[in-house]
Amino acid sequence: MKRTIALATILLTSVAGFAPLKADQKEVTVWSWFVQSTMQNSIKAFEKAHPDIKVKYTYYNYSPEYITALKAASASDSLPDVIGLQPGSLTQQYRPQLEALNGPAAKDWGDGWQDKMFPVNRKQILMGNPPGDQNIYILPQESQDLVIWYNTKIFEKLGITVPKTYGDLVAAAKTLTKGGIIPMFQGAADGWQNENVYLMLANQRAAGLVDKAQKGEAPWSSPELLQAMKDWRALFTDGVFQQGALGAHAYPTGAQLFSQGRVGMMALGSWWMQESKFPPPRSQYVQNMDGFDFFYMPALNGSDHASPPVGGVDIGYGLTKNGGRNPSAWTFLASLTNGEGLQEALNDLNDLPAFVGHEPKGDVSPHVKAMYDRFMADLPKAENQRFAIPAIADALDSALAAVASGSQQPEDALKAVQDATDKALKS
Amino acid sequence: MSQTLTASPAGRTLAEIRPHRGRRQGTVYLFLLPATAFFIGFVAYPILWVFDESLMRAGSDGVRHFVGLGNYLATLQDPIFWLVLRNMALWGLITIPVQMLIGGLIAWFIERHTQQWRGFFRTMFFLPVVTSVSVVSLVWAQIYAPYYGIAQNYLQVLGITMTDSALGNPATSIYALIVVNIWQWTGFSMLMYVAGIANLPSEVLDAARIDGARGMRLAGSVVVPMLAPVTKSLLLLGIIGTLQTFPIVQLMTGGGPSHSSEVFGTDIFRQSFVLGDTNTGATLSVIVLALAFGLTLAQIVFLGARLGGRRAAR
Repeated sequence: MKRTIALATILLTSVAGFAPLKADQKEVTVWSWFVQSTMQNSIKAFEKAHPDIKVKYTYYNYSPEYITALKAASASDSLPDVIGLQPGSLTQQYRPQLEALNGPAAKDWGDGWQDKMFPVNRKQILMGNPPGDQNIYILPQESQDLVIWYNTKIFEKLGITVPKTYGDLVAAAKTLTKGGIIPMFQGAADGWQNENVYLMLANQRAAGLVDKAQKGEAPWSSPELLQAMKDWRALFTDGVFQQGALGAHAYPTGAQLFSQGRVGMMALGSWWMQESKFPPPRSQYVQNMDGFDFFYMPALNGSDHASPPVGGVDIGYGLTKNGGRNPSAWTFLASLTNGEGLQEALNDLNDLPAFVGHEPKGDVSPHVKAMYDRFMADLPKAENQRFAIPAIADALDSALAAVASGSQQPEDALKAVQDATDKALKS
Repeated sequence: MSQTLTASPAGRTLAEIRPHRGRRQGTVYLFLLPATAFFIGFVAYPILWVFDESLMRAGSDGVRHFVGLGNYLATLQDPIFWLVLRNMALWGLITIPVQMLIGGLIAWFIERHTQQWRGFFRTMFFLPVVTSVSVVSLVWAQIYAPYYGIAQNYLQVLGITMTDSALGNPATSIYALIVVNIWQWTGFSMLMYVAGIANLPSEVLDAARIDGARGMRLAGSVVVPMLAPVTKSLLLLGIIGTLQTFPIVQLMTGGGPSHSSEVFGTDIFRQSFVLGDTNTGATLSVIVLALAFGLTLAQIVFLGARLGGRRAAR
């Protein structure tokens, strides 16, 4: 009997917990890999402002779950109303199933709405569109800026100052290693982190050259890109990266070690600030980001300046053809990218906004606010970090791993990237 | 005799019975319908769809064009394909016999040399099989990590410093993954052999002992041949498992560095979902299917597994 009562209680509780749609409510379905707790805050704020709309969010890990779920749903014409996207290849894969957003955006935000987007974002959202197609299929929600984060408390303890030159960087790495600290953690088993560091190096050698190379407008064998590949190799041989970096992952291993104070430096992006908003327990370094600050890749040998900001769209969203038939879907998308939904994401320090005129509110320490303002000041100058064609990014990932391991010379590795680029641009 | 064939016990003629039998047979076929529909919908149709995709190529305009065997020729010319094939061969040739050998030895030890702790040992050795691959990959990535890893913590006591990660070296990455796979799946081989050993007729073993067979002689001449059905099953499952390898590689190396640990599973995933090239992914899938079919058929032919009930009944 007790068992029956318990089961009945569980059943009733679960039924009560499941809030069905009210008669006058419309539903919007959303899929993404975006942090669940932050998205729930955004949805809560949106539903408060639009009580007649209910948002149903489905979270997936990006790979393999999300990209396989999208593929399956696309094949069976069952995509949700709104989907999380990255500019370039992911957006282009689903372009036939996406609505152009120029019209609704101009209607809600005025004709000059695109001018409020950071230049690098404007460039990225059109990446991979067929020639002449100026339609926008992805609306960016957040931007990012790639930097080198460092542990200020460890630096202070070991008497290290922020590196200004490559020599300083190598010296800092040596001091950290001697002090029993991992110098710069590189999750080189992850192609994305390798790409990010290479883009820092290449854009310092020649800003914007990688962008030209991926379009076929400059050869990958350009002296600057070749030098950047040699710089990349040196980060391993000079002991800047930790030993065995090629077998390591940035997440969760690197991020955990970094937040625990076992790592001196790590190449990440502005999104690292959100660590301070994750549920406790938080380390002394992560609390209000008290133990962290950032710098750009210092001047490499033969260079007289640090790397420029590199970044762009962190995450964006698209309106599917199914969503196009549901007017509430655009209302939610607009809120998520440029309204109350975005504000909640910014309050969680998830990343930087894609449009100007937004900033986090609420519990933000002066140190975090100062770093946030620095990022926002740098973002308009950011170079592009995205690739339009995944085959080129894949070839570059492979080349970077091969050079890092010493199994391929930089020249040969870049030739392989050139071959992949030629093949991809031809097809 | 002929009367029993042409008339029913109730005295009805065959002609009277036939429509009834036909109806009954129709009912029998109706019972087959769900399974057949399930097979067509979830097995046959996807295979045909994948085969169709492998003969097509989508242009930049998204329109599919028939290219015949073009995708197959392009795949065979891709050096990564041959790297994958080499890795798959290494995977099968190393993991299957090693798992069998270690699993068999553990099973023999547990079944013949333990009494009270038998259940405990069986559970412990089987535990990795039921552990989530995500957990296994996280733990082993930490074990392999030099400088800050688990193995390094112990090696430090001996004054040894790991300077490289086996996962991060293109020359060793596939072997590092094979070790993890063996660790995880040896418990399965053990369990199969435990079942096999438990079913060994004790009178045969006793007779062999009376004849003087002991130790290696008993194992080599009596036990191992009698466990041949288990070994054959493990071989078949091992080959299929090898071709299906995916999660452990995807989670630990993603097929890298530089494709050095790429297997069919990760390559198909990379082509289909990361690069968005469904046609090449489908081509690789058909090749894997053909390989699995060929290897299974070869095993049936050479190892004498039964093809069907009719032949077995003869």
